[in-house]
Amino acid sequence: MYDFKIDIKKMVFHKEGDTGDFIQCDLEKCNGCGLCVKVCSANLWSVKDGKARLAPRYGELCLECAACWEICEPEAIDFSYPAAGTGVTIKYG
Amino acid sequence: MEKWDVVVVGGGPGGSYAAKTAAEKGLRTVFFERGEKPGEKNSSGAGLGTRWWRDFPEIMGKLPELPSYRKADMIVIKIIDEENRVRMVHGTTGSDRDGSRWSDSLDKGMAGAAIYRLDLDPLIADLAVQAGAELRTSTLISDVIMDGGTVTGVKTAKGESIQAEVVIAADGAMSTMARKAGMRNRWGGGCTIVPQLDFGCDGDKLDAVAGNAEWCWFGPFNGAYQMHFAESFHLGAGKWLRQDWDVKMTDGLERVMEIPAFRKFCKVVDAYPREYQVHLLPWLKKPVKSYTGGMMLVGDAGGFPCPLDGEGIWHACMSGRIAAETAAWAISRGDVSERALAEYERRWKASPLGLEHTFGDEFVELWDHSIFDPELMKKLIQLLLEFSEIHPFSVLFDWSDDHVSCLNQHIEHMFDMMPEFSDFASKYMSPLANTISPQVVKRALLQAKPKVPLFKFLPDDLYLKLLARLNGQIRSRLERV
Repeated sequence: MYDFKIDIKKMVFHKEGDTGDFIQCDLEKCNGCGLCVKVCSANLWSVKDGKARLAPRYGELCLECAACWEICEPEAIDFSYPAAGTGVTIKYG
Repeated sequence: MEKWDVVVVGGGPGGSYAAKTAAEKGLRTVFFERGEKPGEKNSSGAGLGTRWWRDFPEIMGKLPELPSYRKADMIVIKIIDEENRVRMVHGTTGSDRDGSRWSDSLDKGMAGAAIYRLDLDPLIADLAVQAGAELRTSTLISDVIMDGGTVTGVKTAKGESIQAEVVIAADGAMSTMARKAGMRNRWGGGCTIVPQLDFGCDGDKLDAVAGNAEWCWFGPFNGAYQMHFAESFHLGAGKWLRQDWDVKMTDGLERVMEIPAFRKFCKVVDAYPREYQVHLLPWLKKPVKSYTGGMMLVGDAGGFPCPLDGEGIWHACMSGRIAAETAAWAISRGDVSERALAEYERRWKASPLGLEHTFGDEFVELWDHSIFDPELMKKLIQLLLEFSEIHPFSVLFDWSDDHVSCLNQHIEHMFDMMPEFSDFASKYMSPLANTISPQVVKRALLQAKPKVPLFKFLPDDLYLKLLARLNGQIRSRLERV
């Protein structure tokens, strides 16, 4: 009856509209450590061939927490914000 | 090109309060918000302490009209053991002596507030607009305009340039403005990440079960907070983002959701999780350099949240106010250079905001090596429980043997455990003595004076001087500024 599962897909809300590209990963700098994979609530990162890969449709799922940017020691990940008025939105509070 | 006295980047509490203050000072002020309305990008605790009545009464007075408002008059801490049982409940609120403090003089008792950011942020933004500042929503500021090392304006993501005498950057933990101006990059170990779940529930039942208390859970895992709103609550559990990160972001929340007492609480108040939120929260020993030529950083952008408990909204509003006042002062003198804006740092350091950060090392070290160290927490909880058994009420209800033997056993257990904590106590607890003010130290020494043989006949001044001369610890405590 009381379901305590955290279902990110059902519990995160996004606005319509093209977010544009707001996360970049410089593969030259990436050391493949995989910390971005571990800190992403939405599972948007993976490591292939020793380099971080970002899901192509990340704009629809990203929570804009910027944990991947903060944890990236070689500073390969650059994070800006999605286009104004798009992206994640707090529905309840 | 469009030109303003003050451009504020960010429509959260810090940005809006800066805009409000700047407009009240007669400065032509515009503030920008990337969301369609202030608050829609922001999640947090969000509890406002009683000091808000002293510093921001115009905001506190309006909160009860907002839908998510719940008065917050105490914090209840629930201590959990390894078997997930609630073993100790500790309530913090004002003592009767608090009648002598400002909170009671305002007839508000020890009342703070819990409020959604979706309610709070638009309220403060409205106050700024009423004061004469212009708010532009759905506008993303993506760059600064620099002239010889001084910030002279900002650029929108759509490419418009806007000039300003002073830019106030209130654009959050990731602060695009601070990075583009070359002030800093990532925090590099000083930043936490806070995943949080919003639960809907029955407001009347929440009244009955929790009332106006906010809850915290501590156990052999990271601590978690539970903030209660009108018909909902937040469960949040943060952690420092460091290179040794080896958990799932939601582990801390899931851990609390396993506690039977939490599940029963949810059942009783008809709670269901409905929104997952996650945000960066700088939790630094000291704020970063908070100014450069033409620009000041406020709130999370400047790393201002409290080094002891991570509270950030009061810190954002305070730094926003001080930044705007400094902007008015600098503009009136016709000098917004880096050297002139160093005044900002002098001012916030001299304010209540600065006092907490004076002891940032002590606070962060303590926190980092206790709540965030599960092995120590296991032992610490056992020690706390033994401490609590020495409490007169506990002795009264300990029927495992005759009461005299029980008390003595508990004291012995406590002594058995204490050596394990001597390292922790000397490294992380003793430094907290630094926060005790010279006035309090002086008072303690003078209160003990009548019991000190020989010295008790000395005049107070001479007695204190003599003690300081004899003992280096006392000397440094009495001299602290």
